Amino acid sequence: MSTKRLTRGIGVGAVAMLALAACGGNGDDGAGGGNGDGGSEDPIDIGISLPLTGDFAEPGKGVERGYETWAHVVNENGGLLGRQVELNILDDASDAARVVSDYESLIARDEVDLVFGPFSTRLVVPASRVANEYGMLFVEPAAAAAEVFENGFENIFYAAPAIAPDHYNHLVDHILAMPEDERPQTMAVAAMDDPFAQGTAYGLRDKLAEAGVQVVVDEVYPPNQTDFNAIAAQIADADPDLVVGGTQYQDAVNLILALQQLNYQPRMAAFSTAPTNPEFPEAVGGAVEGILSPTGYSNEADWPSNAEFVEAHTELHGEPPQEDEANAYTTGQVVAAAVEEVGCAEQGECQQQLIDYLRDATVDTVVGPLAWDEAGRPNGAHMLLQYIDGEIEIVLPEDTSTAELVYPKPEW
Amino acid sequence: MITGTLLFQSLILGVLLGGLYALLAAGLTLYFGIMRVVMLAHAAFIILAAYIAWRFSTATGLDPMISLVFTIPLFFGIGFAIQRWLISRLKPATMTMMSVLITFAIALIIEGLLGQVFTGTQRRINLPYGASSVDFFGAAIPVVQIISFVLAGLSLIALYLVLKKTRFGRALRATIQHREAAQLVGIDTNRTAGLGFGLGLATAAVGGTALSLQATIFPSLHWHWIGPLMAIIVVGGLGSVPGAAIAALLLGIIRVMLELWWTPTWAQTIFYLALFLTLMVRPQGFFGGRLAQRF
Repeated sequence: MSTKRLTRGIGVGAVAMLALAACGGNGDDGAGGGNGDGGSEDPIDIGISLPLTGDFAEPGKGVERGYETWAHVVNENGGLLGRQVELNILDDASDAARVVSDYESLIARDEVDLVFGPFSTRLVVPASRVANEYGMLFVEPAAAAAEVFENGFENIFYAAPAIAPDHYNHLVDHILAMPEDERPQTMAVAAMDDPFAQGTAYGLRDKLAEAGVQVVVDEVYPPNQTDFNAIAAQIADADPDLVVGGTQYQDAVNLILALQQLNYQPRMAAFSTAPTNPEFPEAVGGAVEGILSPTGYSNEADWPSNAEFVEAHTELHGEPPQEDEANAYTTGQVVAAAVEEVGCAEQGECQQQLIDYLRDATVDTVVGPLAWDEAGRPNGAHMLLQYIDGEIEIVLPEDTSTAELVYPKPEW
Repeated sequence: MITGTLLFQSLILGVLLGGLYALLAAGLTLYFGIMRVVMLAHAAFIILAAYIAWRFSTATGLDPMISLVFTIPLFFGIGFAIQRWLISRLKPATMTMMSVLITFAIALIIEGLLGQVFTGTQRRINLPYGASSVDFFGAAIPVVQIISFVLAGLSLIALYLVLKKTRFGRALRATIQHREAAQLVGIDTNRTAGLGFGLGLATAAVGGTALSLQATIFPSLHWHWIGPLMAIIVVGGLGSVPGAAIAALLLGIIRVMLELWWTPTWAQTIFYLALFLTLMVRPQGFFGGRLAQRF
């Protein structure tokens, strides 16, 4: 009796497996013949590897939320080319070796139709190499360092307004438009030993130095530095008009407090990344007045699709999107624009057509209209935010600004 | 470029930083003296104390230093427990090596728990006097640094008095100098070692609270501290509390002064340069250090 039951069980299992295999076969056929009528019912499979654990887990999850919102909005509106989109997300544990094997298996084994990029320069560079080998279009949300675009790959596109050295371009223009005797005459730069943080600060430093601003302090510190007293002492002693921090988060907090302790009052202060963190004002004891920071995204910016994005994201995740979420959503928008225009989403020739289309296209996104140079660098600049009366206001460029830039900066 | 004011300012900041180093290193050298234990979790406990101070301050709105009222006894108890129920069970022959493994595990557990409970976000206590400073002959001395220096000074003086003037201190020093002989004259060396360990960990409570006043904290911060602290106690002579304090003060000053000429990245290497130099020239350490000769 029991033997019989067992045999029957195995039989049922075998039939089920056969059926599964058959389904898989059908699916592959459908994807292969994506141009045929039968294929239009299949979802578009999008392969992504993200750092959901490890060093970059926090921003990695932000990017995941942005991708989810994008898929949600697209599917609500009837999908891409009439097909629903499905995200196939793997966790690479912030490991550059894992990200390579992830994209290889997504492309070669899972035969995904499209790929989206991971988070952070360290992971985007190896991932872009894999995508390039397979000839896949590679739009990425989060690698702003200049090195990313110097590998000669023609398939990579950065879905944000500007690479790191261009973040402060609007501020440079603003400073150079001031009468010469009112401009900052001297500047101090302190930057973390990190390609992104240095990229932002050095973009501003080099452009201002060329215009005649004297660089009086120029320090680099390791990412683990928590004691900023010695750097602050040098800046306070030189007393420059402008202080620029190539910062992430904790370094900006510690540096600003150390500068305050030494009674240094700059006429202008600009720090990357940290000031847009919601915890920043409290961490520096409210001494945020007049601090400038470049950002690629604002909930308030009135680009055509932004309101829809903020609403959908808030509904899905319970809070308005930040920059990481916005760049992920932008990645989706860029790829979707190419897919809709070219009319295909599959591996093979289609990918090259998508790449060729984006090369000359301008795409409307939640961070504004984007276009790219031959290496995939976006050709814009970041908005400049400033804390004015305790609120974050957009001060540059003037056509999207919500307030006027305050200079000289009030005392902190 | 480097003015007199800047030199003086840096010197002051170096002395203040060195004071904090001295307190943080004192406990570490004490464990080694008592038990030949390399206590890798010392810095993790420092960060734990800093987190408790931060949490206490954000939850109650009171000054983080008030948390010392309960963290000092708590850490003393934990130190006693660790010594009595973990470290003392190790075989004397493999004590030094095994203690590295055990305390490494404790450090990982503390780091993991802090990450689990408080996430990896960097925290800094928002103090009303956080940005204030006092003018001292043209140099600005941050109030938080004065407080942490005073805390360090008071703790080190207290530690010194306990070791030199009390009966327990004499028993502890006897245990450090010669365990068997101490037992022969009637000292309960096991209990004394446990209390000594508690004393060492209590300094971590004070050090962590002092640290929380002046820098951001995050769960993995202890890895950045344990290396320099280990170097300091070797330079000062393993097991010697005054040696550790002097070495800490000197290296703290040198580090801050070096940042004037070197980059901050290179200035951090002073601890390891001093470590190499000590091992080459005077392996038993520059101060005190009668103990290390026996290894």
